[in-house]
Amino acid sequence: MFSLVSLVHLAEGAEGDVSAALGALEARVARTLPGTFNGGDLIAHFDFADEDSYRDVLPAIDAVLGGGGVTRADSAFYRHGRHGAADPGLATGVYRALLLSADRPVSRPVLDKFEAEMVRMPHYIPAIRNWRLSRVIEARGERRWTHVWEQEYASLDGLNGPYMLHPYHWARIDRWFDPECPDWMIDTRLCHSFCAFGRAVLTA
Amino acid sequence: MSTATTIYVIDEIVALPGKGRALLEAYHERYAPGARARGMALDRVLVSPPMWLDDDSNTITISWTIQGAPAWWGMSFQSRNDPGVADWWAEVDEMIVRRSRHFATAESDIAEICNV
Repeated sequence: MFSLVSLVHLAEGAEGDVSAALGALEARVARTLPGTFNGGDLIAHFDFADEDSYRDVLPAIDAVLGGGGVTRADSAFYRHGRHGAADPGLATGVYRALLLSADRPVSRPVLDKFEAEMVRMPHYIPAIRNWRLSRVIEARGERRWTHVWEQEYASLDGLNGPYMLHPYHWARIDRWFDPECPDWMIDTRLCHSFCAFGRAVLTA
Repeated sequence: MSTATTIYVIDEIVALPGKGRALLEAYHERYAPGARARGMALDRVLVSPPMWLDDDSNTITISWTIQGAPAWWGMSFQSRNDPGVADWWAEVDEMIVRRSRHFATAESDIAEICNV
């Protein structure tokens, strides 16, 4: 399976038209919640059975995202990476996507170590109910996004509380993101965006 | 919640032979003021061996404290959005063999810091 996630920045008054147009292309669309950072006004999430299906619909998606109702979009198309689901039926939770760009020169084993540590987060932070870490095939927007780190929480408290405050995050994982740490390799420009889709998308 | 737990930010720096003293002076003069402004308090500075070596490496361990994970994020957010901080580390890299930065608490605070 493949997905495309787009973090859409809207022109004033365009939410209805843009949401409807993306929805007509079979995206799940929701307004972002307060507290996102470079996260846009809408999240549009598409699933595809294969890459050809994505290529077929991409011109129509580009027409919407390149239209007058959109001022900017950060997008990542990816094959589904490592994932887990503790709550596959989660219907009222919060979806969060982190787009990151591991753009500093590192070896493959170092990148593998980063990814291996990232996917251990749900083990230490059970508030992460469903999750997926994927390498990006095609990126658009402010950076050449290399990874999408998606999670679903039962509520926003899980994201703002346990996820942010657990030491496995700030005292272990964050060194890859921190220019003060020798292991730093990820651009400080991130997209941190979240919304409530009204259904689980990581287990769809 | 863990807002009051003391977190230690520990830099361990192995200086190039003969550069330990100059490196630590630069750290005090050019790095420490900004670190304090970002909310860290200098805990201690240890130099090993306790003399300045001319022809070998000193290992310098600098420990800072900050109170709780939210304050840690506040410090880190300021640091990563100030290009001068990354520039500082890049500039002094020529005086460094290797370095590490670790984040720690007292053993007795582990349960509290994990209670999120």
